[in-house]
Amino acid sequence: MSDNRRPVRVHRFRPALITQVDDALPDYMNLMGMIFSMCSLMLKIKWCAWVAIFAALVGFANSRSSDDAKQVLSSFMLSISAVVVTYMQNPAPMTIPFMQ
Amino acid sequence: MRTSVTVFFILLNILLCFVWSAAKKIHDEEFSEFDDFDEDEFVAETPSPPGASQLSSKTQFNQPDQTKNEGLSQPSMSKTTEQTTHDSVTIDDDDDDDLMFDEEEFEATDLFSSAPTPDFKIAEVPANLTGNRWESYHCEAIMILVLLSYLINFLIGRSKNARLAATIYNSQRDLLERKFSLVGDNGQTQTTKSTDEQIDNDVVSNNIHKESESLYVLWCSGRTSLESMLIEMRFIKRQCLFNSLAALIKSLNDMIIYTIDYSKDDMETFVFCLAKKRSAVKLHRDMNDLSQFCSERKNAEKHRLSGNYQILSEISEVSKIIIDNRVGDFINKFPDALEYIHISDQYTGMKIQNDNQQSSSSQPSNNGTTVGSNGVSATQQQDALNLSERSVRRVLIVAFNLIPSNDRSLQITTETVINDYSRFVLHLADHVGLFRFTSKESKVKTLKNRQRIEEQFLKNVNQQRQEQAQQRREEKRRAEKEKIMQSDDPDKQRKWEEKEYKREMKRRQPKMKQMKIKSM
Repeated sequence: MSDNRRPVRVHRFRPALITQVDDALPDYMNLMGMIFSMCSLMLKIKWCAWVAIFAALVGFANSRSSDDAKQVLSSFMLSISAVVVTYMQNPAPMTIPFMQ
Repeated sequence: MRTSVTVFFILLNILLCFVWSAAKKIHDEEFSEFDDFDEDEFVAETPSPPGASQLSSKTQFNQPDQTKNEGLSQPSMSKTTEQTTHDSVTIDDDDDDDLMFDEEEFEATDLFSSAPTPDFKIAEVPANLTGNRWESYHCEAIMILVLLSYLINFLIGRSKNARLAATIYNSQRDLLERKFSLVGDNGQTQTTKSTDEQIDNDVVSNNIHKESESLYVLWCSGRTSLESMLIEMRFIKRQCLFNSLAALIKSLNDMIIYTIDYSKDDMETFVFCLAKKRSAVKLHRDMNDLSQFCSERKNAEKHRLSGNYQILSEISEVSKIIIDNRVGDFINKFPDALEYIHISDQYTGMKIQNDNQQSSSSQPSNNGTTVGSNGVSATQQQDALNLSERSVRRVLIVAFNLIPSNDRSLQITTETVINDYSRFVLHLADHVGLFRFTSKESKVKTLKNRQRIEEQFLKNVNQQRQEQAQQRREEKRRAEKEKIMQSDDPDKQRKWEEKEYKREMKRRQPKMKQMKIKSM
């Protein structure tokens, strides 16, 4: 079998060649995380803060390597600070509105 | 980077627990004075004027800084002293005053005794301050459990995908290194050869490249008759609980997609697709080239292929040559493995993306070339080059499903079959590279089709350019008008209006002139 390798014909990899699949989930999750964090901080709603942490986690899990890590981390930090601040203001247990 | 983020997250959780316990301590201290109240104290107070006792208790409540002991002793002490002073006051006064005072006092007491005892609304003590305080936080416990379970699923799913990718890479590494000069490139290192340092540090960057937790790519290049081969391992998003549930419901599979790029001379000009029915429908609808060049979908029964396959072909001659015995044997051996084969010299990506680009591209300085291959980067390239040609790629795309066979796990199945898949793809790539039309008519037909599409594209481009130029002209006029209106100079305004009138007359006049010439 002849060797078909040709070092002369080597081309470098370009990330643009990967088939783009429209996946907006991580962006939506980051946005949701930020919105819920702000709601919990402004309106002092505890379950919003927990949902914000969850949204940040889902966004992190679905993110691509090319995405900026700073955005994911900032979303995490914001949601955790929302939880901490909401509980510092009012340490009473959480009440879910439609269940009580 | 991902490990550091997860460690960071765990540390933050620990910090949260510390903060929580600190907050609890603070509350313990704040509410301590309400812990030990004796009921006897309340009983002893009732004979004395209730007004005075209420005042005294209020003063105590307003001074929370006092210690516990003081708080306990003070009520009894102060009340007794007040009683004695009150008695002394009554003795010293005149009889009338005494009587008055006594009457008033009695009146006051009568009032108080006759009036119904006010209902004391005892506020409910919050659940977290009575009994076992942790039990009241059941919602929080549930949330934490949900978060932990998601995190555990993330770690397990990520490691499973990573192991699968490593298996695929290790199984076909030898074969690929024999066939290609360069195997594994992330596009970022300066040289493509791994240095000794890299090997020593166990960090080989020219390797399988992780795009996300569920997408791994391997780049191969340096071979006759083709420019490059990109192997995309698209796994189910096991790292996300929701996505893995959705994959179960929609019955999605792990996929491995080989994309081979040819140079202009390596490949004949045709568009062809062999796909499973569900993929054939999607591809025909979504892919630019398949919708432009292939008019209908035909069943593949003529070619004796088992399974539910359909063919989209520009030239019928091509289908017979591409679907040879090798393809038939492969499909028979691995019934559900082959998802689709897409061969095209006019590959420009998916329709939806291009539509979005067309609607959103309103860049005034660049031309309206929006038919890029993938995403925004290709259009930017096109705009930079300022060409009025469509950026097409010559590709062979083969997609396989990774399905675990009857009794084996996915890992073991993949290990055994992946080499066969790679060999099949390489054989097909060589076959396509060597194929040339036998009849001139086919060649002429394909060239005509391409010319037609090119003309349509150029028309669109011209139209968009004209629209943009017109928009620019209108904006200029508006800006001029605003300037002149703002200047408040009636002469200037008149002059500008006259100019505009003349311009409009000129626009209408040519038609009139032509009419006159014709009539003459």
